[in-house]
Amino acid sequence: MSGRSSDSTARPSGIGRVATPQPKAADAEIREVATSLAESVRSFRRSLHIRTVDTGSCAVCESEIRLLAAPHYDLHRLGFFFTPAPRHADLLLVTGPVARGMEVALRKTYDAMPDPKAVVAVGACPLGGVFAPDDWVHGNLDAVIPVDVFVPGCPPSPLALLHGLLLAVGRLGAKVTEDPFTATATPRPAADAPPPTKAVEVSQPAVAAEAASRSETT
Amino acid sequence: MSRVDVVRAAPGDFETVLLRLLGASDARVADLFASTASTAPAAPAAPAAPTAPGGPDGAQPDRAITLRAIVASDAEGGYVVVESDFEDGVYPPLSDLSPATFVEECEIFEEFSARPMGGKPLNRVLVPPHAETDFPRLGTGPPVVEPGVRAPHVVAGQAFEFPVGPVRGVGQESLYMGLVTTGEEVLDLYLHQWHKHRGIERRVHGWPAERALFLVERAEGLSAVATAWAFCRAVERAAAVAVPAPVERTRAVALELERLYNHAAAVAALCQSTGLSVGQAQAEIALERLLRVNLAAAGHRYLFGTLAIGGVTRALDVSAVRALLPEAVAELRRVVRALRTTNSFLDRLEAAGTVPQETARGLGLVGPIARASGVEIDCRRDHPYGPYAEHPPEVRTRHSGDVLARMEVMAEEVEDSRRLIWDLTAAGLDSGCVPVPYGEPATGLGWCESPRGESLAWVSVDEEGRIERLRLRPASVRNWRAFDDAARARNVFTDVPIIEASFWLTVAGFAR
Repeated sequence: MSGRSSDSTARPSGIGRVATPQPKAADAEIREVATSLAESVRSFRRSLHIRTVDTGSCAVCESEIRLLAAPHYDLHRLGFFFTPAPRHADLLLVTGPVARGMEVALRKTYDAMPDPKAVVAVGACPLGGVFAPDDWVHGNLDAVIPVDVFVPGCPPSPLALLHGLLLAVGRLGAKVTEDPFTATATPRPAADAPPPTKAVEVSQPAVAAEAASRSETT
Repeated sequence: MSRVDVVRAAPGDFETVLLRLLGASDARVADLFASTASTAPAAPAAPAAPTAPGGPDGAQPDRAITLRAIVASDAEGGYVVVESDFEDGVYPPLSDLSPATFVEECEIFEEFSARPMGGKPLNRVLVPPHAETDFPRLGTGPPVVEPGVRAPHVVAGQAFEFPVGPVRGVGQESLYMGLVTTGEEVLDLYLHQWHKHRGIERRVHGWPAERALFLVERAEGLSAVATAWAFCRAVERAAAVAVPAPVERTRAVALELERLYNHAAAVAALCQSTGLSVGQAQAEIALERLLRVNLAAAGHRYLFGTLAIGGVTRALDVSAVRALLPEAVAELRRVVRALRTTNSFLDRLEAAGTVPQETARGLGLVGPIARASGVEIDCRRDHPYGPYAEHPPEVRTRHSGDVLARMEVMAEEVEDSRRLIWDLTAAGLDSGCVPVPYGEPATGLGWCESPRGESLAWVSVDEEGRIERLRLRPASVRNWRAFDDAARARNVFTDVPIIEASFWLTVAGFAR
């Protein structure tokens, strides 16, 4: 990053133009990450779709996610789009400490997404920094589904979220090249799967209970 | 200063005392909650060791509770806490006197197994279905829910239920909406908010109040300052501590900054729900600027960690607020002015999601929603706290009770908040915390006008300042219950997101 004029042509569109009070070093770091990830973004033809799930957040992470599409940040310029359907999604943004009431919905969303997929944990809650695990919440996201990128912060600023998204794209790019996409392919290595925890046991009664409740209660 | 009276009534007199209090003009039941009985009957006859709450041994649950109703007298100013012990888990059905308390009655059943007399069916509000039996509760949860306890969920005839959620659109909180319809018109609407229940009131049991503040702020992050202030006031009243006026003014500036960004976000959401991309982008520019004012003033975009028990953690950067705020508010003002002359936008707002004044009173609504329906309440003026006795807000009302009225009330409150910030900063701010000496076990009630309306916190602390019982009642707990009424009032599917944006509530505040 010695000469600004010389690297301006190589710079991915718009990254340097974000007007924020972030320190210069962070800005340069993001630019560097974005540059190094340009290859993997290209493999998605600059069209990557994001689904969001709230698993019990305090509504502030949601506010920052909404602002990603606002003029100051405008994630569309990087080729990211939000989608209302998990089946069209490449990336899952998860907020909140994974309340057990949301577990079924979270798993269904994750399972409905086609491979390759990446999961980004947004904020301190899914990192396990706010709520201790108990009978009501899991407390951290990787107890339930495998996580590719953790974005810390309470809440993470939209710029930090963009950084996390770009990192996740790198992971997705690697998954594309690894995955042979054939029916005979061996399943993904188990190292990726979450360790068997109480979460897995809870889920089955939870499904039955939810089905029962839908018919008899409000 | 507004006062709080505590009335201890015999179980038989509980209803009579409440009836007498509610006979006064403008009195309303602001909250109803239970805690495990303070004078638990010692049972020397039972030799068995006390079991953990909800223990798996199938023992008859101890259903003794202390019930507290908080009655607000908005005309005269002041709250009355009416408390009574009920031994056998049955209490008078207060929702017959004040329909507003129905949700609280459902919560009390889920946490303490106590039911209102008469056996009316109750809704599921906070506890997910899979947690029906042995999960920890505040008291002793219902061991088995007998048939008839839960309200039936009936959709019949030509109507069907169109399910929306719990996972919804981008940046929207998890919420299940059952839209009952025959095709286009919303006939009825069910809400399930229990997906997000985190049990904050339960978690902080036994914690020092200073530590509990961390989770209290995160009960409803979009009104972190308001919820924290209500909680801090509750603890400070319990410890009989007075916070110096310049420090209270710092808190008030933070609260008004919070109101500003929330109202800007509501305008942005209204534009989004009506498909007005340009208006949305402009409102989001104003919102982002307001968040950066917060960042410059307090070091956090959403003002987390600004308040502390006994004061504030940091001084606000007043010069940054004065330098940056006018332009941000002017931006929002330009957007609102443009929206007010955009007929295609106004057509969607007028007569949509109407909440009549009687409904608003009956359901005990608070904040801009109540004020847009002609209920003139604002606890900054009615129950002045902190600096609001010297710096009263102007309470703006409308009478049509529709989405447009709510937007206009919010727009006028933006101007008022800006004026208040100027007045408060001119009067001088200070930072720091006064020491909070805990002595006797004590209780306290705190309140604060959040951007969504009156937010209450009631706390009981022991001699070392540890939380015995915390009750949080953010404005969202009150106001969500008018949502189905508003959605039913001759609206179609596409009106529902518009109504939701104009309510600008959080599920987090309800599900806590």
